[in-house]
Amino acid sequence: MNVSKTELIKELQAIPWFQELSSHHFDTLVDMARLVEVEMGEELYREGDRQDNMYIVLAGRIASDINVPGRGRRRIHTSEPMDVVGWSGITPVLRQRTASAIAIMPSRLAAFDAKALRAACEADHDLGYVVMRRLANVVAARLMVTRLQLVDMFSHPAEGSTP
Amino acid sequence: MTTADIVQDTQPTAWMAPHPVRIEAIEHETENVATYRLAFVDPEIGRAYRFQPGQFNMLYVPGVGEAAISISSDPEDHDGVDHTIRFVGNVTGAIRKMAVGDVLGLRGPFGHPWPLDAYSGSDVVIAAGGIGLPPLRPVIHQLILHRENFGRIVVLYGARSPDELLFTEAFEDWRAHGIEVEVTVDRAEASWHGQVGVVPMLFYRLRLDPANTVVFSCGPEIMMRFVVFEALARKVPADRIFLSMERNMRCGQGACGHCQIGPYFVCQDGPVLSYARLEPFFSVEDF
Amino acid sequence: MTADSGRQATMLAIPRHGLQKLIQALRDDGFETFGPLVRDGAVATGPIENVDQFPLGWLSEQDGGSYRLVEAGHPRFFDVTPGADGWKRYLFPPRQALFDLTAQDGSWRAEVPQTEATKRALIGVRPCELAAIQMQDRIFLRPPYADPFYRARRENLLLVVVNCLHPGDTCFCASVGTGPQAQAGYDLCLTELDESFLVEVGSPKGAALASAIGAEPASDAAQRAAEDGLAYARSHMGRHLDTKDLPQRMLANLEHPHWDEVAGRCLGCGSCALVCPTCFCWDAEETLVVGEGQQGRVRVWDTCFNPNHSYHAGGGTRQTVRSRYRQWLTHKLGSWVQQFGALGCVGCGRCITWCPAGIDLTLDTKALQLESDQ
Repeated sequence: MNVSKTELIKELQAIPWFQELSSHHFDTLVDMARLVEVEMGEELYREGDRQDNMYIVLAGRIASDINVPGRGRRRIHTSEPMDVVGWSGITPVLRQRTASAIAIMPSRLAAFDAKALRAACEADHDLGYVVMRRLANVVAARLMVTRLQLVDMFSHPAEGSTP
Repeated sequence: MTTADIVQDTQPTAWMAPHPVRIEAIEHETENVATYRLAFVDPEIGRAYRFQPGQFNMLYVPGVGEAAISISSDPEDHDGVDHTIRFVGNVTGAIRKMAVGDVLGLRGPFGHPWPLDAYSGSDVVIAAGGIGLPPLRPVIHQLILHRENFGRIVVLYGARSPDELLFTEAFEDWRAHGIEVEVTVDRAEASWHGQVGVVPMLFYRLRLDPANTVVFSCGPEIMMRFVVFEALARKVPADRIFLSMERNMRCGQGACGHCQIGPYFVCQDGPVLSYARLEPFFSVEDF
Repeated sequence: MTADSGRQATMLAIPRHGLQKLIQALRDDGFETFGPLVRDGAVATGPIENVDQFPLGWLSEQDGGSYRLVEAGHPRFFDVTPGADGWKRYLFPPRQALFDLTAQDGSWRAEVPQTEATKRALIGVRPCELAAIQMQDRIFLRPPYADPFYRARRENLLLVVVNCLHPGDTCFCASVGTGPQAQAGYDLCLTELDESFLVEVGSPKGAALASAIGAEPASDAAQRAAEDGLAYARSHMGRHLDTKDLPQRMLANLEHPHWDEVAGRCLGCGSCALVCPTCFCWDAEETLVVGEGQQGRVRVWDTCFNPNHSYHAGGGTRQTVRSRYRQWLTHKLGSWVQQFGALGCVGCGRCITWCPAGIDLTLDTKALQLESDQ
């Protein structure tokens, strides 16, 4: 799959964070990655899965949905090009997926084998630090978004009181 | 340009006495928002009336009171003045019960507009949330009219849910005029294929040239606060970030004291204020 | 003969009985005359036709949250310092009709009431109160939305100021530079002495009036007595306000723990704002007389202590007494300077005297310093 690997390398080289990696770290990550193309409606993983990939969106849009019994499928987040999907895959404690990831546009992603990535971080703490540092930023941004969703910015406290 | 200059240019109404205006048309935008096109009962006043993007009128319902409503139409459109109203209180609730042909009062225009002239040549990022888009729509009209005077123009817009998005039918036209439009909602069902997230996140993803960017933002104060954080993190200078602030107005003329934020009368020094001026007061709790 | 020869040219005097002549001359000229008088156990302002109505012989004992009138029996009309009532309502009435609606062709027309042409003369205005009027002029007459009701009343207002020789226990005009002596802005300025009033002319109207009542050049002795009296007053203020860097200190300390301390005492009643001669907030209300088809809008006094004073679409702002007290004080001593070019406080001390909790801003502001000075 050499053609695909070349394409993958090209895509990753366009991402600012990958540009900052040493060539050794870059190669290590490329080795555990592959290009994935999905159609609209295709699922990457389902809520409750132990599916083991971390993705970077290269093109398209991936939705994160949670199924709330009684209310149905709620779309709680979408990921755009350059966003990470499924970051929990490389956290030290393995968990089930807390949301389903589904392509809502035809999409192209770089998929990283999370188990291999965890192992590589353990073996090379320099790589581990750089990866986790990046992940910290990803989670921080996600948390900011979640908190603003949580406070319900657009609500109005008093319908019908002062003008 | 002082407020006095702007007022001279924009034909203010008599001191505290409203002019009657007739409802010419009502456009139901969402369940809780509608746009009212108003025309002066006295055609001479209508002919003289001019406003600048970002200004507002005090709309009056006799026996009920007044509400400050931003003007949401094209300043070049002299056939009427649009006001996009969210129904949240006594006055707006009373307007909701009115029909085409009914008469309201109007005083205005008031306030300091969006500083478009000062930023010819710049990239413009408009970050709007919910009912914050209507006060920015006149700016978008002006940007389209003078498209060649500006660089990249980006509209970032968000609402709570897809059915609360305003002016969605206009987005294609904006894109056709070279404006990038990114839309998000806080929450959605699986039938929504647009973005889910918040406006500050749209800003976070932008590639920008900070020294040449001006930001115009209007929406819930908490949204604007996070937009400002993102803009500052990207090194957009504080004096190039403009927010349309909102406080209750009673007079619209800088007289009654109700709308003050620190030393600024939102109705006169604002509603559009730069973050450079707001910064000492913006994040002080309960100020 | 003295170094101050510029002032000597306008330093006149009238005998004590000249004051009644002054009142009469004004009334003959069509002025309604007003001055301080004793009412309901305090010094208030009201219509004055005769000098007998002035508070001759009275003194006030004032402190935080405390006011008492004492019949001291001295021979002066104006030694007693003002009470809660001032002159604000003569220019900015507590209730003012803005317009009435009359039906017209399926619509309506807003009829604005005629502005006042009544001539009013205020006799016995203190230098601090004059400063407050001048500050209200800046607020109500600033372009582009000058208040036509205020303007009409102001143009028909004549001011006879009286310098203070006996400052009160809560007075601190000297700290903010508004007294005890008036510098300019009056039509006439009187200084009350045992046998006479010194008279300074401040305007053409004042000059005509001084001439009409037979004011003559003041004696050196009288002038010295006045200067001595004013020097005494300047150094015997009841309070002192440290005005160094005051606006910056206010606005740099918005989260200072001292606000919590004051909030524990403040009732949020707004008395301070209501007695303050420079406060200007107002609200607009609908008036509706059911069955008579009369509908209109009026302006009424308001204060920032009103919980509904400030809000936006997301909800209320200033939801606590702490935040409202902070707003009042940081506006008065801080933001006001940027808005109107000078402090909002004229040092009259009313807010101290009439606060039920006895909050004293001359003390409370001491806690708010700039970091570099701490």
